[in-house]
Amino acid sequence: MFYHLSLEHEILLHPRYFGPQLLDTVKQKLYTEVEGTCTGKYGFVIAVTTIDNIGAGLIQPGQGFVVYPVKYKAIVFRPFKGEVLDAIVTQVNKVGMFAQIGPLSCFISHHSIPADMEFCPNVNPPCYKSKQEDNVIQEEDVIRLKIVGTRVDASGIFAIGTLMDDYLGLVTQ
Amino acid sequence: MADKTMPIFVPSEKPAKVIKWKVKQGAFVSQGQILFLYNDSSGSNSDLKKYKAARAGTISTIKVKEGDIAEPGTAVAELEACQHPTVMKEMCAECGADLRTDEGTKRDVAVVPMVHSVPELKVSEELAQKLGREDAERLLKDKKLVLLVDLDQTLVHTTNDNVAPNLKGVLHFFLRSPGCPGRWCHTRLRPRTKEFLEGAAKNYELHVCTFGARQYAHAVSDLLDPEKKFFSHRILSRDECFDPRTKAANLKALFPCGDNMVCIIDDREDVWRHATNLIHVRPYSFFQSTGDINAPPSLPEEKSKVIAGKNGSQLAAALNQMPILDVEPEKEVEKKKSDSDDEVVKDKPNEDKLKSDNPEAEQKKSTVGDSDKSEGQNVLENVCNEPKWVETADGQIEVEDPDDYLIYLEDILKRIHKHFYDLYEQTGGKQIPDLKTIIPEVKSKVLSGTSLVFSGLVPTHQRLETSRAYQVARSLGARVTQDYTEGSTHLVAVRAGTAKVNASRRMGEGKNKVHVVTPEWLWTCAERWERVDERLYPLQRQTQSSSRRPPAHCSSPPPAPAPPAPTPALRRRTPSGRFMDTLNPLLSFSSDDIADMDREVEDIFNESDESSSDESKPKEDDLDDEENPPEDRLISVENDDTCSQDRLQELNEASSDSELEDNRPRKRARPSSPPSDDEPPDDDDSSWTLMGAALERGFLAD
Repeated sequence: MFYHLSLEHEILLHPRYFGPQLLDTVKQKLYTEVEGTCTGKYGFVIAVTTIDNIGAGLIQPGQGFVVYPVKYKAIVFRPFKGEVLDAIVTQVNKVGMFAQIGPLSCFISHHSIPADMEFCPNVNPPCYKSKQEDNVIQEEDVIRLKIVGTRVDASGIFAIGTLMDDYLGLVTQ
Repeated sequence: MADKTMPIFVPSEKPAKVIKWKVKQGAFVSQGQILFLYNDSSGSNSDLKKYKAARAGTISTIKVKEGDIAEPGTAVAELEACQHPTVMKEMCAECGADLRTDEGTKRDVAVVPMVHSVPELKVSEELAQKLGREDAERLLKDKKLVLLVDLDQTLVHTTNDNVAPNLKGVLHFFLRSPGCPGRWCHTRLRPRTKEFLEGAAKNYELHVCTFGARQYAHAVSDLLDPEKKFFSHRILSRDECFDPRTKAANLKALFPCGDNMVCIIDDREDVWRHATNLIHVRPYSFFQSTGDINAPPSLPEEKSKVIAGKNGSQLAAALNQMPILDVEPEKEVEKKKSDSDDEVVKDKPNEDKLKSDNPEAEQKKSTVGDSDKSEGQNVLENVCNEPKWVETADGQIEVEDPDDYLIYLEDILKRIHKHFYDLYEQTGGKQIPDLKTIIPEVKSKVLSGTSLVFSGLVPTHQRLETSRAYQVARSLGARVTQDYTEGSTHLVAVRAGTAKVNASRRMGEGKNKVHVVTPEWLWTCAERWERVDERLYPLQRQTQSSSRRPPAHCSSPPPAPAPPAPTPALRRRTPSGRFMDTLNPLLSFSSDDIADMDREVEDIFNESDESSSDESKPKEDDLDDEENPPEDRLISVENDDTCSQDRLQELNEASSDSELEDNRPRKRARPSSPPSDDEPPDDDDSSWTLMGAALERGFLAD
């Protein structure tokens, strides 16, 4: 799920940037340091929308580096159990398949793929195919899956998905 | 597992009527899924209640039919809890349960990482067996076998050194990794690699199995197979290896039903624990100064470089060098290792030069010294194995690469495949043959029916049965006798003029004529797994002189000549295993080499006057090293050409000059250990400066 959140971040700046462009540098640095990261609590920070407030910089004694507390709003993506999402299949193997939902990787076990779909290792690329051959899932395909579990680490999130529910599976455009 | 089965009791105090089951017997239910609808018998019919599963699992039995009334306290159904047979990052991939917090399931069922590139994904023993069986059935149906392919020095040769950017056939890529600045890799594919893969893929399912880092393995696989049609995702790298020293440990996980359909090609036997289903490939070497950049014991090499660089003490380098030599006394010494030794040896004179009072003279000496030292080996190596570099008109450097090993390898693989399926069909498809016995069998057909006699190949004090040559010949299926017998067909002689050679001349002509061949014949047979035409390897009178220098392959790492020997490789006493060398190793050195050593000894004496005794010690080690490693530095020659030996010597002399200039800059370009006395003190200020610098770089990059 996507959220628009107010977040905070501290920017550490080298004294060489002290000058007329100082605040621009701070903003620039915020974008590079924050966008694309992942925290267990809020999920993936997709994009910074606005920078609300750059606080008073505090010079670190003895070094000359300055620390700016920055308040900003960002769009974050936090997957939840039970959520249904569209994903792109990245790898298909005999144990299951891996899919990517933007920055989130997800694994779908063979067990959670409808039983009528079989793994076909001999075709290139390997795929899961239903007996009537009308339903084929292979790499690069878009599938709709439901998240059944998430592993939230300090540095990333990993999800387990399933295709065993109504309206899940291959998405035909 | 009975303890995992739990009954679902009637959910109310009063008898309940089950109206409708929402699930079937044997169905998998997730937590919170509706199992059945019911109503209390007391209440009105319209008042339907839903029963939701308390936890994920499988409905093993349904005990109450629709419409029946169940008394309180009786079980309506049994729910078998999820066994978590597939686990990804400690999370069950079937029910989504987090196994890290789940106290009840401390005992992990899923232990087998079955997918090459994703070690976090594990499946249970049972499931692994099932998948393994399916794999085996599929392979049998498609008439395929599994081939594990090593990358470095088997199919490719990669260097991190700087190379000319316009080399033809060399691919360049940049590896970025978190934490370190990344590096450029320059990879040369072995000639005919594409054709080889194409051919092998028809009969084999190809897997990559390398000691390179994951990123590297995938990058190289991309180069080899951009469409992913050969390897798909079957790439196993160092990051997925259980054991940093051997690849054999992973076999059980990848092939839970046994590895009897697995064939391996690798340039190193030791990493597979000398498995008999291994085809030992002649190492491919293209960039002269680099060995296998991803060899398993590469650690000592890197470490020694770092340490030597850090405190600039030669002692550290020397100490570090010793473990390299001692760590694996059993293991056959490989070219790679000698390279690393080379490295260390080379670094030292540079440091000497920095320390000595008379840097100019010292530098000259050491330059001449160590270039000459390695020259002997390098030149030999160059002539036999190093490709020729020719600059073409369009500015590309065309490289003539005489390596044609993959042609033979492809043929070997075809024969193995044929033999396997012939045997499989003979048994009517009931029994799956084992490649661990088939591969030695195929190999033993190569020279079957021949009977060899060695002359000058095995030292007199060594028993024939323990010699390397004997084992090679036996593994090829030849009979080896101490002396001439009725059926002797070949005499393998190192030089003309021995008693046996003379005897062979007296032996009958005509039908039972004995072929007199050089040991090269045997090595070539062992390398190609075919009986090479004896006429290409005649023993000549004048070979005596050239064999003073150990012919490259006798002394080359036994790997090339001796693939899966029946017994684990025994160490021979001398590099070449030749009698001559057992008497006096110095005989195999050229006068240049000896002069060099003299010079080196003088250096030591001169130096120890000024410097501490500690510093002279590594020098002595140097000397030792110089005597031992010829065995390793040399690479097998493969010349169909009969006069190769002579030509070799000519080239040798001709190229040694150009080699000198050619070689030096490249070797120097390697990060030689910097004088480290001026390393910045490790205090706060400097670390902040570093951090600042890093930040700046970050910004400038933007």
